[in-house]
Amino acid sequence: MKQPIDNIWIGQKDLEQDIDFLKEATQEVSPSALTTGEMTEHLSGNRRDFLKFLGFGLGAATVAAGCDIPVKRAIPYVVKPEEIVPGVANYYASTFVNGGDYCSILVKTREGRPIKIEGNDLSPVTRGGTSARAQAAVLSLYDTHRISGPKLKSDKGWNDTSWEDLDKMVMTTIQSSSNIRIISNTNMSPSSNKSLADFTAKYPNAKVVTYDPVSYSAVLEANSLNFGKKALPSYHFDKANVIVSFNADFLGTWISPIEFAGDYIKNRKIDDVTKAKMSRHIQVESHMSLTGSNADNRILVKPSEQGVAIAALYNSIVGGSMSTSGLNDKAKKSLTKIAEELKAAQGAALVVSSSNVVAEQLMVNAINNALGSYGSTINMGVTSQQAQGNDADFAALVSEMKSGSVDMVIIMNANPVYDAPMASAFTEAFGKVKNKLSFNTTVDETTDKCDIIAPNHHFLESWGDVEVKQGYYTLIQPTIAPLFNTRQAELSLLKWAESASVDFVNPQPYYEYVKNNWKNTVFANQNAVSSFTTFWDSCVHDGVFNTGSVSSASFTSVNIPADYTKPSGKELEISFYETVQLGNGQYAGNPWLMEMPDPVNRTNWGNYLAVPVNFDGVSKMVGFQNLKDGELVELSIGDSKYTVPVIQQFGQMPGTVAIALGYGRTHAGITGQNVGINVNNDLTYVNGYRQNYSSNVAVSTKIGKEKDFSCVQYHHTIGVKAVDTESGKEINADEAALVFFDYFTGAKGFQGALTDRSVVYTAHVNDLKNSIEGLTKKRKHAQHLNEQQIYAGFDHNYKLGHHWGMHVDLNACIGCGACTVACMAENNVPVVGKHEVAIHHEMAWLRIDRYYYGDIESPNTIYQPMMCQHCDNAPCENVCPVNASNHSSEGLNQMAYNRCIGTRYCANNCPYKVRRFNWLDYTTADIFPGNQPKLADENIPFGADNLTRMVLNPDVTVRSRGVIEKCSFCVQRIQEGKLAAKVEGRELMDADVKTACQTSCPTGAITFGDMNNKKDMLSSKLESPLNYIALEEINVRSSVTYTMKVNNRDSALDA
Amino acid sequence: MSAVVSPIRRPLITGNKTYHQITEDLISPTEKAPTRAWTIGLIISVAVLSYGVFCILWTIYVGIGSWNLNRTVNWGWDITNFVWWIGIGHAGTLISAILLLFRQKWRTGVNRAAEAMTIFAVMCAGLFPLIHMGRIWLAMFILPYPNTRGPLWPNFNSPLLWDVFAISTYLTVSLLFWYTGLVPDFATVRDRAKGMRRKIYNFLSFGWTGSAKHWQRWESLSLVLAGLSTPLVLSVHTIVSFDFATSVIPGWHTTIFPPYFVAGAVFSGFAMVLTLMIITRKLLKLEDYITVEHIESMNKVILVTGTIVGVAYLTELFIAWYSGYVYEQFAFFNRALGPYWWSYFGMMFCNVISPQLFWKKSWRRNITLTFLMSIFINIGMWFERFVIIATTLARDYLPSSWSLYSPSWVEIGIYIGTFGLFFTCYLIFTRVAPVVAVAEVKSVLKTGGNQYVGENATHKHHHEHH
Repeated sequence: MKQPIDNIWIGQKDLEQDIDFLKEATQEVSPSALTTGEMTEHLSGNRRDFLKFLGFGLGAATVAAGCDIPVKRAIPYVVKPEEIVPGVANYYASTFVNGGDYCSILVKTREGRPIKIEGNDLSPVTRGGTSARAQAAVLSLYDTHRISGPKLKSDKGWNDTSWEDLDKMVMTTIQSSSNIRIISNTNMSPSSNKSLADFTAKYPNAKVVTYDPVSYSAVLEANSLNFGKKALPSYHFDKANVIVSFNADFLGTWISPIEFAGDYIKNRKIDDVTKAKMSRHIQVESHMSLTGSNADNRILVKPSEQGVAIAALYNSIVGGSMSTSGLNDKAKKSLTKIAEELKAAQGAALVVSSSNVVAEQLMVNAINNALGSYGSTINMGVTSQQAQGNDADFAALVSEMKSGSVDMVIIMNANPVYDAPMASAFTEAFGKVKNKLSFNTTVDETTDKCDIIAPNHHFLESWGDVEVKQGYYTLIQPTIAPLFNTRQAELSLLKWAESASVDFVNPQPYYEYVKNNWKNTVFANQNAVSSFTTFWDSCVHDGVFNTGSVSSASFTSVNIPADYTKPSGKELEISFYETVQLGNGQYAGNPWLMEMPDPVNRTNWGNYLAVPVNFDGVSKMVGFQNLKDGELVELSIGDSKYTVPVIQQFGQMPGTVAIALGYGRTHAGITGQNVGINVNNDLTYVNGYRQNYSSNVAVSTKIGKEKDFSCVQYHHTIGVKAVDTESGKEINADEAALVFFDYFTGAKGFQGALTDRSVVYTAHVNDLKNSIEGLTKKRKHAQHLNEQQIYAGFDHNYKLGHHWGMHVDLNACIGCGACTVACMAENNVPVVGKHEVAIHHEMAWLRIDRYYYGDIESPNTIYQPMMCQHCDNAPCENVCPVNASNHSSEGLNQMAYNRCIGTRYCANNCPYKVRRFNWLDYTTADIFPGNQPKLADENIPFGADNLTRMVLNPDVTVRSRGVIEKCSFCVQRIQEGKLAAKVEGRELMDADVKTACQTSCPTGAITFGDMNNKKDMLSSKLESPLNYIALEEINVRSSVTYTMKVNNRDSALDA
Repeated sequence: MSAVVSPIRRPLITGNKTYHQITEDLISPTEKAPTRAWTIGLIISVAVLSYGVFCILWTIYVGIGSWNLNRTVNWGWDITNFVWWIGIGHAGTLISAILLLFRQKWRTGVNRAAEAMTIFAVMCAGLFPLIHMGRIWLAMFILPYPNTRGPLWPNFNSPLLWDVFAISTYLTVSLLFWYTGLVPDFATVRDRAKGMRRKIYNFLSFGWTGSAKHWQRWESLSLVLAGLSTPLVLSVHTIVSFDFATSVIPGWHTTIFPPYFVAGAVFSGFAMVLTLMIITRKLLKLEDYITVEHIESMNKVILVTGTIVGVAYLTELFIAWYSGYVYEQFAFFNRALGPYWWSYFGMMFCNVISPQLFWKKSWRRNITLTFLMSIFINIGMWFERFVIIATTLARDYLPSSWSLYSPSWVEIGIYIGTFGLFFTCYLIFTRVAPVVAVAEVKSVLKTGGNQYVGENATHKHHHEHH
């Protein structure tokens, strides 16, 4: 008999030692479970009942099944990969590269998905900085328009094929071809170039032709003449005290903007006000570029005057007698003064030019040589590979193709049909080539005209390497298995070349190829590490390796031809410029970049014709030909006619207009195509070199209004000065022009309406002491006002523990917008499209406000990153009826999305207007199906596509329609940092928490930290007397501190 | 109700009415078949209401993005309409409660319709705070109900929450007050009715028998409710004004708002009462009950409140200048001269300048002019709210965020739809209840007319000759 053991019993019967129970307990199966016969009695029923039950059951099931409940599968790992811990991110060092665009990066992956790009601090070139383009690259991985596998063209469109069939077909084609051309943009990859070399070695009739969407051909040619090296030098903007840039947008788009911005800002930041010193930056241009907006002085010259402007400086510095006729007097006078300044800064001067005329670049080289720049601010010993395109080679290719002598063209990361010099001529010639193969990853304009697609991997799926500058190597490593049936382009080439050095059976043949190449080249050229395995592992881990190789270079003077550009003498000229967002269209397919507002004119989703604007001397701002923002005009360039919307642009030279390149693509995914107009065919040529301007231009008067004027900032100035004709005094013209209707009294706005606002403060570096005194007085007054209240306030709540705060150095911010895209990527901020932007429904948590101030003709600019200020006395919090907006004990202003009912009272009451409302179902997160807005005509709304949604950060809630959202100070990163410190059992450090905007910034303008931690970086920054709090006197007790914007304008140049 | 009335005071009810005639005149519209005008009116109202309902459903389905609000101007027509309707809803209670306490007997002619109007206007107003929510299906979050989330209460610091209580209280008390007045009248209807109708009105009149006790209790209750409503008349719009006054936005953050809003509300409420009364008295032939005297009295109130509002506008301008604070100065500068100058101009013209015509007695008594003026004031007061809300938000602290706003078809549709709701309710009301308070009018028949000896004293004259 079974006895209860240690007072453990099952039920009452066991406790009472019931005989029957004990008997049953000895049986393996309970006898009562076996006797089921009795149960049947309860199931008695007749046919009618059966039918009733059946009917009800069917009906109920039908009704229930009618409600479609979407099935969302979450499949756990069957075998967990060793390196993946769910919820913990992995970072892989890699490189963002596209033509000459370069950024050494860390790729953040979550559960095997790349979701965010961070800068790689170990890179001596980009030093942890990033660009908007690099930040947005992760979205292009999940582009729904990527080509899914190898394809062949037929009459009916693209047909899928297999790689084996494609290889067979291509091999036969190659072998039967007499002339093969590979068209590529700049290729900085040593291994890729080696594979190209292998291919051309196998097929000597093949040749690589390189061109760039924006040409640097003339610089290369000039350097080849002066130094015998067809390469770009390394520029050191940090070593220059005087910088003169002839139209070179080196902070936005020219050669290596991330690197240059980081260098440039070293001489612009003011860390110690007692020893304040700034470089002087003078920009010679006609349209307001990102770089020009950061300059101290701008010398306005028409695009066709650039040549004579350079010549004028050349004459003054080198002492030549080049013709400068046609150069406007003001520029001539200014350039003479600048020459003196440059000469005084001998050895610390730098002159750069984006000119694509060899004679002009030779003059620039000669100027730099005379100023002693080589060896100080320019290093020709470490050359840059970032531009390799050759306009002459390309022109030769076009004529070759035209003659029909080329029978096969391979397109490798290039889109010449859209962006090549003489694109229309190219397209025509391209049509005569029999076999056209493309490696591109999406069906762009060029791929569309090809017959075979052998799609390449995305760079986040690839192995690869980059030598951005001589001796500066970085690796590219895959962060996800290929999403589609694609193959590395280099591997395709090697396969077709039947390369013996590649083991095609290996699962990762190109990896082995790159590794071997490094073993033979990079590893062999260094002495630091002896074991290749160690060397390779550390290279893959760090992503970077520098051999420190320097070559010799000496300047050889050459005769400068007189065929530089001469002023056209035309009344109106147009310049074409590359934008930070889209380049020359390479990034048009990326909705994050399409939605990123242009830093200067603040428009997105389209290119707007920038027209000059001036003050009428009384009370109105008058645009060129009376044009207003968003009005349509007919733009004629040569024979082409376009309808474009205009935007009034302060700082645009009178007699010139400007429009961005890179828009109007016809094949860039549904969201990227047919946005704006394409002006690539209207570029002019001088000696075969592509020029980014035209003198053959006309602009009509208003012919209509743009349907959706997608501009995120309507008011642009904060005190631009002009002369009031009545009084003859200099006034703030924008303040006078604030009146919409004067009731026939001639009323004007009042002086101080903008400049007295406590939003931004400006100073001149030579007048810093007075400006600081003024600022201190104003702040003291505000603080005094804030003390006059009966409430105790909340400050005491945040004295202990963490108190998060941010410092934004406006002197470091160049407005490049990398942070705005980083913020979208980190925080799952939706893309809303042109129409929604036009009605101000943009969702960006972080925006960069841009204000012009000073001289109306050529104003200075302030860029002010504006995000939630995390006020400790937040006006948004007390007005929320449901407490959805509330404050954390660490000083964070938090949003409880689940609690938000969407009254938008908080957004109204936010003085900084940073709160964003989910007007529509941008993210498919609400309860209604089928109400999502579309960006264009896409089948599945952009935000709803499962491929696109792979980019979402799983740590950040996707907000549904009808709730407010805003900057959270990257609270998920704060939590992660706190957790890391806790796990390691130590106090939180500076480096533990960095916001997405902070890490993306190439100039270190943003510092985030704990204001209660007196040891960290933030606290030291908070001590600067330049600091201020925006709108301090309204006592919202903001946690974000800005610095006064300091410029080094030379007023002598304005005269 | 038995104060001494001067014999030279004009009678409140003209036309030599007997008590029976009053009953006939006022009850019969609920008994006869509807007129053609009424039927057409109802069809139009219901059609407009249906369109409004469609626009509301559209908003709920698509989202607030179907409106043209933006990141800078987060409230537009929605809250403008809300404040406007709430303001209109101020006349009824003021007439019933405050004028009752002040023994203004002329109120009996208009109080019933004015109260009805109040209730319907508050219903229209109450719609907007609900539908302007991004997630209306979670509207219960604003109520303090016990819950399992902590419990999580609403934020009692938020003026929006105060609104919830203020408006629901106001609606409840107004409804009670209105219904209390209706009880003896429903009994009168019942007494004349047969069959089912009689049963319904019997139920509605709570078995009123007209006993002295009933009348005594009824009088007491009316007085108690009047006492309760009087502070409400002042508090509702005061609290609505807190939505703006407690914020940090220049142009909103103003201590003058509570009295200014209340005066404005009474102003617009009376204007709306006039609009409706002038139409009603014509259509239902109530000229003897709603006389020119009534219209003149109300015009006096309009003149006073309009002038108070005008003083408030000028005070705001002065204070903005006197503050020496750029944001405040700019906010008011921008209202008058900025992109929405026309709405400021419309507000000033309709609310301050045009009512000044009423200083002249013959114009106060001119029905056409009064009707025109009442429409003007309704428009002017709508502009006032638009100026305060949209114009202020469009250009506040940071010039970078300045924007403009104009409504979408959905917003316009919802606003028009509220007229549909209002008039549908009002038209049904004229069919089911006496538009003039029968019992109360009867109470002033003698005191306000019998002893009149002045000009055109028809009543006395009549007796002398027969």
